[in-house]
Amino acid sequence: MEQDCVFCRIARGESRASLIYEDEAVVAFLDIRPVTQGHTLVIPRRHATYLAELDDADGGRIFQVGQRVAGALRGSGLRCEGINFFLADGEVAGQEVFHVHLHVIPRHLNDGFGLRHPLGYGTMRPREELDDLAGRIKGALLSR
Amino acid sequence: MPDDCIFCRVVSGGEPTSIVYEDDNVVAFLDILPISPGHTLIVPRRHATHLADLDPGDAARMFQAGQRVAAALRASGLRCEAVNLLLNDGAEAGQRVFHTHLHVIPRFVGDNSRLRRTEGDVPLREELEEVADKIRRALG
Repeated sequence: MEQDCVFCRIARGESRASLIYEDEAVVAFLDIRPVTQGHTLVIPRRHATYLAELDDADGGRIFQVGQRVAGALRGSGLRCEGINFFLADGEVAGQEVFHVHLHVIPRHLNDGFGLRHPLGYGTMRPREELDDLAGRIKGALLSR
Repeated sequence: MPDDCIFCRVVSGGEPTSIVYEDDNVVAFLDILPISPGHTLIVPRRHATHLADLDPGDAARMFQAGQRVAAALRASGLRCEAVNLLLNDGAEAGQRVFHTHLHVIPRFVGDNSRLRRTEGDVPLREELEEVADKIRRALG
């Protein structure tokens, strides 16, 4: 638990937030800079700066709560034709608050949100190349 | 298990696939249309078209596998300075294959991927509370 972490303060009830859900492990609340109405953040109560520090069980709980919030968004009457889960791990991936959080974003036509792909995206990669990459990732998985 | 689901065929070994990880519940394999090298998809073995059909236990295991793959990507020697996890639920959210899947995307400086969003006004707390109330009521 970090004194100066804004999400830890929300989890402790010391900072104002529009809460959606909370239990002993997880808190869900509205993003104050929403991409769309209903944009929710799901966080573990226990501070984890990055995915690498996130307790396995907390990770599972975050995703399950995200799933419940997604169901609620679809049933809430807010505009919601689809849902994105988005998590940015590290600054280069777009992380801005350094307490792991899962974005649950209600989507609708022409809402302006999306991941813009790099030039050349959409080219099918050859199987040998993919197998080589998979081997390297598998190697790193096994050595952990 | 729908016969025409390509990810069900991947899971049952009926499709050429570069597998990264598998266990009793989930399979992780490389996207054939990668956003960056190492772009991995994690799927539940049990078919679920949408999040609403996904067993919560499978959901937790997908995320946990995503965490492990993210760590492996960072250690693999591939370019990976950060990671995005992304799940598209519904065609309007960008879902193209209708078997729930979690994207694990390696990110690095200069990869030219970018989040596109419309910058709207920051809503007032009363507006947020109204929205939160609707969602809380739907949660039950």
